[in-house]
Amino acid sequence: MATPNELKYTSTHEWAKIEGNTATIGISDHAQQALGDLVFINLPQEGDEAVAGEAFGDLESVKAVSDLISPVSGTICAVNEALLDAPEMLNEDPYGAWIIKVEMSGETEELLDAAAYDALCEQEG
Amino acid sequence: MSDLKRTQLYETHVAAGATMVDFGGWEMPIQYPSGIVAEHLYTRSVCSLFDVSHMGRLLVEGPDRIRFLQYVLTSNIAALTPGKAQYCIIPDENGGAIDDAYLYQLEDGQLLFVVNASNTEKDLAHLEKIAKNFDCEIKNISADWAAIAVQGPKSNEYVDLLSGGKLPEDIKRNTVLTMQLEGRDAYVAKTGYTGEPLGFEIYVRSENAAWLWNRLTELGAKPAGLGARDTLRLEASMPLYGHEMGVDADGKPMPIFAVPLAKFAVNFSEEKSDFIGKAALEKQLDAFMRLRDGDFSACSVLPKSIRAITLTDRGVIRAGMAVYRGEEQIGWVTSGTMVPYFVFDGETRTEETGKRAIGLCYIASDVRPGDSVTVDVRGKRLAAVITAKHLENRTPPLAKAVLIENK
Repeated sequence: MATPNELKYTSTHEWAKIEGNTATIGISDHAQQALGDLVFINLPQEGDEAVAGEAFGDLESVKAVSDLISPVSGTICAVNEALLDAPEMLNEDPYGAWIIKVEMSGETEELLDAAAYDALCEQEG
Repeated sequence: MSDLKRTQLYETHVAAGATMVDFGGWEMPIQYPSGIVAEHLYTRSVCSLFDVSHMGRLLVEGPDRIRFLQYVLTSNIAALTPGKAQYCIIPDENGGAIDDAYLYQLEDGQLLFVVNASNTEKDLAHLEKIAKNFDCEIKNISADWAAIAVQGPKSNEYVDLLSGGKLPEDIKRNTVLTMQLEGRDAYVAKTGYTGEPLGFEIYVRSENAAWLWNRLTELGAKPAGLGARDTLRLEASMPLYGHEMGVDADGKPMPIFAVPLAKFAVNFSEEKSDFIGKAALEKQLDAFMRLRDGDFSACSVLPKSIRAITLTDRGVIRAGMAVYRGEEQIGWVTSGTMVPYFVFDGETRTEETGKRAIGLCYIASDVRPGDSVTVDVRGKRLAAVITAKHLENRTPPLAKAVLIENK
């Protein structure tokens, strides 16, 4: 699956789509492949604060748990609760299935563009 | 992963796009591109293949071999007739488990002993030390023979086809037959580690491993990895050494009778005579029977037991998480994950699937099926219930998920 050029990426394999002051956040195709079948997601609530570089939730595959790290800081203004019943949507459509939307304020982690992110995945093998 | 050992089927797994991982020193497929959930469901509905060639295959030979095995194993080898297999445990002096294993008496009388991959060297060292006092010898044939598990409702049909219609229709569990599969030597055992009512473990010479794998795939079986093997055995409440046997989360040895399956693996008959750990195991059996009758004074001998547990809150339980009754910690989860299941309409399997967070736990022996407990899931106490079993598999050809009622 091609890495979409219009998105920004973290080294922990989240993507962010930045439109004005709002960031929509999900996980990359590389992440969903590495995790395998996703069976559970712990989501934050609307109104919670997201902090760049810190966990806002976690994701469980059959094999293991992994934290979801926020690429940006701000107030969580939307949560994709459909994932609670169907976390496998993140496997099926990683760049279509978003997890949270954040109204940004303050710091943003340094984010990678698609080419830099592909290079990172290549390196990690 | 260059230091890792590879089975006879390594190339086959890689060619099929498997994700390979280090498993007890072996480079093994954790899953194929279809994923663990699909592999689990395909086993329950059709038939899956598992490469189990990483497990240790040992032949025990020599005039004293029966006496030796009676002494180092918990089962009664005198009751093992040609063409039969038995589940057994390698006990230590204190009634703890060094490993669990399967012993087959092939139809020609050879004794084939199959142990866990990661324990093979430890087991061999232990067994060889004791074998010095007996006129017998242990031969490691793991490199000469490969092992493939063929598990699921269609497994009988596929194996029967390969045998040219020679597979007895009513073949019983724990039978092992010497057969020709399309002209190749094979030991076909009706055993398995998935909880499937129909399933085989087939031993063939190494050079025929890929052939057997590919033939079964052509017939309709699909490969499954160690991930699905683990979710399937967990759903069947089968113990895994290092989780439900061995040492607990505090590093203390777990008594063999903490696992209910021990009842079928430990034997005190007169023909067996003395064996390692016998005195400790007699005490454990007595406590096990008293606990079963509701006499909780036996908790002094068996303080904790392995039980099935189902999470009723949303979430997933994992090995190592603490289990509580009220505010008292009563043990730990030993294995846990989310597993998929088929929804049944009465006795008919539908195409609808669900998933449930289940596990096994090592908890206070006075907790009974139906009791409510909580599990500390990364700082949150989630509600769970102790259950008698997760899977009903006495109704071939299908195994059926046992769901908790309030779900």
